[in-house]
Amino acid sequence: MGDEYPSMFRSEQMSLVQLYIPTEVAHDTVAELGELGNVQFKDLNPTVNPFQRSFVGEIRRFEDMARRVRFFVSQIEKEKDVVPIRPLYDSAPLITVGPSAAHTIDELDVLLAEHETRLLQMNESYKLLSERTKELIEARYVLRETAGFFAKAETQQPDIRTSFDDSSAPLLQHDDRENQYSSTVQFDLEFVAGTIDRARIPTFERVLWRVLRGNLYMNHTDIVEPFVDPTTGSETRKNVFIIFAHGDALLAKIRKVAESMGATLYPIDANADKRSDSLREVTARLEDLQTILYNTGANRRTELVTVGQNLARWQDVVRKEKVIYETMNLFNYDVRRKTLVAEGWCPTRDIARIQVALGHATEESGTGVVPILHELSTNKTPPTFNRTNKFTEGFQSIMDSYGIATYQEVNPGLFAIITFPFLFAVMFGDIGHGLIILFAALYMIMNERKWAKGGLGEIVGIFFFGRYIILLMGMFSVYTGLMYNDIFSKSLHIWHSGWYFPESNGTVLHGVSNGHVYLFGLDPAWHGVDNALVFTNSYKMKMAIVLGVIHMTFALCLQLPNHIKFKRPLDIYANFIPQMIFLQSIFGYLVICILYKWTIDWGKASTAPPSLLNMLIAMFLSPGSVDSKSQLYPGQGFVQVVLLLLAVICIPWMLCMKPYFLWKDMQKIQGQGYVGLDHDGPRESSDEVMEIEEEGNGRVIVEEMEEEHHDFGEVVIHQIIHTIEFCLGCISHTASYLRLWALSLAHAQLSEVLWDMTLGGVLGMEGIFGFIVIALTIVLWFTLTVGVLCLMEGLSAFLHALRLHWVEANSKHYEGGGYAFTPLSFAKLDDKE
Amino acid sequence: MASMFPIVFILVIVLGLMACGYLFVPKGPQQTTIRTSIMLTLACCYLMWMITYMAQLHPLIVPIKSALEI
Repeated sequence: MGDEYPSMFRSEQMSLVQLYIPTEVAHDTVAELGELGNVQFKDLNPTVNPFQRSFVGEIRRFEDMARRVRFFVSQIEKEKDVVPIRPLYDSAPLITVGPSAAHTIDELDVLLAEHETRLLQMNESYKLLSERTKELIEARYVLRETAGFFAKAETQQPDIRTSFDDSSAPLLQHDDRENQYSSTVQFDLEFVAGTIDRARIPTFERVLWRVLRGNLYMNHTDIVEPFVDPTTGSETRKNVFIIFAHGDALLAKIRKVAESMGATLYPIDANADKRSDSLREVTARLEDLQTILYNTGANRRTELVTVGQNLARWQDVVRKEKVIYETMNLFNYDVRRKTLVAEGWCPTRDIARIQVALGHATEESGTGVVPILHELSTNKTPPTFNRTNKFTEGFQSIMDSYGIATYQEVNPGLFAIITFPFLFAVMFGDIGHGLIILFAALYMIMNERKWAKGGLGEIVGIFFFGRYIILLMGMFSVYTGLMYNDIFSKSLHIWHSGWYFPESNGTVLHGVSNGHVYLFGLDPAWHGVDNALVFTNSYKMKMAIVLGVIHMTFALCLQLPNHIKFKRPLDIYANFIPQMIFLQSIFGYLVICILYKWTIDWGKASTAPPSLLNMLIAMFLSPGSVDSKSQLYPGQGFVQVVLLLLAVICIPWMLCMKPYFLWKDMQKIQGQGYVGLDHDGPRESSDEVMEIEEEGNGRVIVEEMEEEHHDFGEVVIHQIIHTIEFCLGCISHTASYLRLWALSLAHAQLSEVLWDMTLGGVLGMEGIFGFIVIALTIVLWFTLTVGVLCLMEGLSAFLHALRLHWVEANSKHYEGGGYAFTPLSFAKLDDKE
Repeated sequence: MASMFPIVFILVIVLGLMACGYLFVPKGPQQTTIRTSIMLTLACCYLMWMITYMAQLHPLIVPIKSALEI
């Protein structure tokens, strides 16, 4: 069994294995198996609360570390200048297996905690300093503007003060003099100064006016620069205001109103000197703060750069360790023996490789105790696993999306590698468009290694995942484009055409056959003629039916290997044969008639060519009577009656044969005196292998066995549904294949319309102006070709081809009742994130 | 000149290629995949060519175009 190669025809054979892992080696063993990616572990403690499992403490610790790593990631993202994160393949790995592993993890824990506290502190102080800076800037504005107000107020005074325009001149340094002058001036009001949001100024003024009954004088100016909030980046515009009023009560009211409207008040001195002192002080403090702020920012950045160097490998280690301990929680902890018992599925072919990995783990840990593996025999259904490489994984995954195949049934993904791109191409056929998507696929494949590392974005990632599908789609599209003789809505004229157009007096030219048949594809003489669509529609519709019936027959035949493998000979006689006869006697006959009708030279035949559709309908509505003037071949009436009878017999055959035989089996079993088992509770049974080797302490409890329901009523109902589904499905699915015609017609017409509307009208233009126009039109035409015809039509044809596979083909043979194989694999953790 | 001969001729060639494909693909983990792919490709391409050829063997209508200068 070991040297036979795996094939995609069926899913791989899986075995249930049991591992005895001594506790010292446990962590390293799981790490090794995770790197290998071949074992899917079962949960042996399904009834245990997640908080009560053995390794909860370790998991919590790693969860903490993961949180810190996420915090670093978010801090780095917020930086305006990009902080380089060293990629994982460039970083030295942290050793987490072996004797020094525990020490490394402890160190990592401490290191992460330190970085976190430092970063948090720096963030805090940065925030505080920013706020302080903002306040100081506002204060500076207030001082400047109020100086302006005072200056204006004073210049409005009568002549006495004219010689003292400059309020900041040294002459005003003496307080007594100032008081002298101030008493001669109405400038004896007290004031409130501050800043407020620009949007609130009108409301503010109105409120003040009402509250103080007009007993105030207010002045305000815009602050030109907006204030930018450092954390959110939003800008606010503020104005400086100064309000002059008389009396303490009024001033108090003003202060209350200002505060309620969200203004910030600043203490401004009436004395110009003191104001200039304050201004100087504020400016100095502002400069100091700016310097500190800058230094803090620089420190923070250096910290983040250091973190960035190590971030990738920290993330990797933390994630891996958490998964290892989560997996270890699934094991059964056998305290008395100090071993962990693990159970899991793995491909039988890989058991040798797993043994090697276990040995390797022992070496790494340096303990000398070896984990033991042995296979168990079981009735449970194993998971379905198809070994794929980078080429086949795309095709397998699109078929798996419909449903995971039952364990070891025939895998439709194998055939989809060719049939899916082919059916796509039948709907897409155009050499030019095929080449475009072919080159796109080649481009992705050439950059495969670089792009596989990640960072592609969701949509591009999807296209990249299907690059080989797109490659094959492109290649087949070029072929079908040759068949349809369509390149960007023009035709190629490579071989002898079968038609020539003789000179004629009238305006209508009729083609005359010259005996040739165009060797490879559709004759270019049909391109552009008035009745081109009549011919191509007939050709494409018939092709769609022929291809459809052949595809369905092929899918039906895939039932045979399943029935043989799972030893169900009854199904061959009761399901497969009647289904095949039914399908072929109606639609197989139609296909043969189509092909036959094409081989007859109707110019030399004795009868007129009959309409095949009418013939099929007449076969059902008036069987046996075929008008000899419209018959396709002699004896047609008799043959059709025979075929119809065959089809009719198949229906009760499908309905009754299987239930009857199953009923007979049941009678035989009951007659022998067996009673049905009670399958309500779990049955305890120890495996034979276990009993031989162990004293049975690590017993495995077998869960409820999966038994078929021998309820006869269910069998009958199932068979009725199956029969009806198949018979009606035959007709509807055959018609459904006509989408092959419909989409290729739509594609060809769109392509033609695009050409006619863009380049078609413009190609004759001459001169430099014509040159520019043609160049622009080419750009337009190409953009629309790629966007509408390749992308949109491509996605549409992809979807329809997929539907044909999922519904029309899979319903003929696919059971799809399995579950996927999800091994513990560190490589796949990336995909999950 | 229009006869079924090319169809039979090409069919024989395709069957020969399929046999070669089946026999000469080396053993290995990808043998089934490669064999299936080759045989299916040959079958699909031949079918489509055969249908296209047969549809034009004895056509029931002739191309008609109005003699306007395009």
